[in-house]
Amino acid sequence: MRRARLWVMASAVTLAVSGGGVDAAEPAPGVLISRQLAEAKALSPGSQIRLAPGGDGQSAQTFRVLGIYEPTPDPMEISESKFKVRLHLPDMARLVSGPADLMAAETVDQVNLVLRDPRQASTIATQLMTGTPGIVARQARAAVSGAGTFVVIERFHLAIAIVTIIASALFLLALSVMLVDERRDTVGVLRLIGLTTRRVLAQIFLESLVVAVGGAVFGIGLAAASQFAINRYFQWHYNTALVFVRVTPGVVAVCLAIAIPLGVVASAAASWSLLRKQLMTLARR
Amino acid sequence: MSAFAFALRSLVRQPARALLGIAGVAAVGALLFDMLLLSNGLVISMERMLSTTGYDLRAAIGTAPPGRGPLIEHAGAIATRLRTLPEVARVTPLRLSDGLVVHTARPFAVRVMGAEPGSVGAWTVLEGRDVRASGEVLVNQHVLELLDARVGGPLELRTSAPGVRTVTPPFRVQIVGVADFPFESERGSTVGLSLEDVDRVSGGGGAQSADQLLIATAQGTTPAAAKAAVERAVPTLTAMTNAQVLVRLQEGGLSYFRQISFVLTTVTIGFAFLLVTVLLTVSVNQRTGEIAALRALGFSRRRAIADVFAEAVLIVGSGAVLALPVGLALSRLLDWILKGIPGIPASLHFFVFQPRALLIHGLLFAFTAVAAALYPMRLVATLPIAATLRREVVS
Repeated sequence: MRRARLWVMASAVTLAVSGGGVDAAEPAPGVLISRQLAEAKALSPGSQIRLAPGGDGQSAQTFRVLGIYEPTPDPMEISESKFKVRLHLPDMARLVSGPADLMAAETVDQVNLVLRDPRQASTIATQLMTGTPGIVARQARAAVSGAGTFVVIERFHLAIAIVTIIASALFLLALSVMLVDERRDTVGVLRLIGLTTRRVLAQIFLESLVVAVGGAVFGIGLAAASQFAINRYFQWHYNTALVFVRVTPGVVAVCLAIAIPLGVVASAAASWSLLRKQLMTLARR
Repeated sequence: MSAFAFALRSLVRQPARALLGIAGVAAVGALLFDMLLLSNGLVISMERMLSTTGYDLRAAIGTAPPGRGPLIEHAGAIATRLRTLPEVARVTPLRLSDGLVVHTARPFAVRVMGAEPGSVGAWTVLEGRDVRASGEVLVNQHVLELLDARVGGPLELRTSAPGVRTVTPPFRVQIVGVADFPFESERGSTVGLSLEDVDRVSGGGGAQSADQLLIATAQGTTPAAAKAAVERAVPTLTAMTNAQVLVRLQEGGLSYFRQISFVLTTVTIGFAFLLVTVLLTVSVNQRTGEIAALRALGFSRRRAIADVFAEAVLIVGSGAVLALPVGLALSRLLDWILKGIPGIPASLHFFVFQPRALLIHGLLFAFTAVAAALYPMRLVATLPIAATLRREVVS
């Protein structure tokens, strides 16, 4: 049988809302439907729906909506249909195979195993494949090919972040050079009244530290505020509960670890060229 | 002296800030250029890949992706029928399946592709010869390496059969050549068999069943006309033109890259605007005395504004030009990173150069130069000459 997970098969079936009653002797089997399906078709617990295994609507069976569930957010399914139905396995087997198929109740697409020793997963997968003809056994981690996709996407985001940091560093350095140059007179006066180069540099260092911390905190605050808007937009766009942006403590720590030293170093580097000059050069207009 | 020559001297006089400003714009511009290449890169690359196969239409039952929908039974007979249509030049039934190479110490999964022997565009034979009869197989280089075998060696294959719950025995075939398969990933394992053999290895009786029919339109016919003719001739088939396939891809998983491209384009252009505005504003604030003196000497207000504008154009223009080679180099790196996504065809690229991207890049930076210069130009335009000069003298 072609590999298809339960929800794929269920979402492929024809769906029709029925207003008819339920046979009291044999109540319709219950199903769960996804929130998206419930909203789109105005279904609620107690509604009756008809599901058919094919697009032509043939062999449709009546089911009763027992509840509405939020599908587990899965980035790999972001652009796929969110109309999902969860059936009990025997009900689904009856729906897709018919009562004449005696093997239907014994047939599934896949079996998930929990190993006593997960380290043996690779060995057991090989044993299963070689010992049971027709079985394809894969480690759950390897089976989720999407995980690899998101590792790559993460690397892509990191590369973009590095370019952005380089651009920001250049911007900061240019600005620092200009601001330090603007304070040339002040630095000259400070040196004339007796402050040492080290003392002036320490002052600039502290100033840049305060500015860098302030800038980093503002940036993190902006990100934290905008994450709500970004998540709401994409959750609306894709009709999903998936969280797209999350400012975690780890992200905050990385931002602070990069932004603060960068700000301080840029300021100190720009100041150093000024402080190396002769005192009279600084004081001369 | 023209405004540009004057602005150039002003920048040369302060090389550190000028170079840092240009480098900052170049870094931002490189990212912007890459995002423009990314916005349509996948679609263009996919379009090229689809067109290199030489087929304009893909017909299947329903609109499920290849390998996921129902099989087209008697695909050989249907293909023969479609070949008689005046709108159709060529038809190739194609079947895709997942298989397992079993006679190795550790079985490994392969993509099984079935086509009629001698089908144009199904695959390209690199070594050996094409499949001519039953029991012959083409493999890609990666499979050959995994098997540690050579052309002429055996291969035992097993696939899962749709609707068949019993296990099929391994199918022993002979490797007759090495081929390059379309839409193959960098380290993908693919084997090519005849259409009948794919059915046989899947537990069938050797029928010519296919997942899809690749159709090339006849000369002087549009794909849309051929699509209509195919669907008229075989109503159970749904044909999609390459353009429709692309639209579907754009609406599907590829939309992520368009969105991130849009977001980053907006952010980078905003960043460039901020960078140049701040640089020019600080620069003007530092030179108020100089500007006031020039105005007092007879420089018109218009001329002083033109100087600031020329400085913005020089910084942004130089950065934007420098951004192009940097952006192209960066796009190679980013493309290499993204091609690590499992299952991505080796010939697919995320960043594809297109003249349109270059034009948009230029227009966006022209807009940025103008927008960034507005506030500093206003400062210059409203600068009180006498008060500024007096303040300079007193300070």
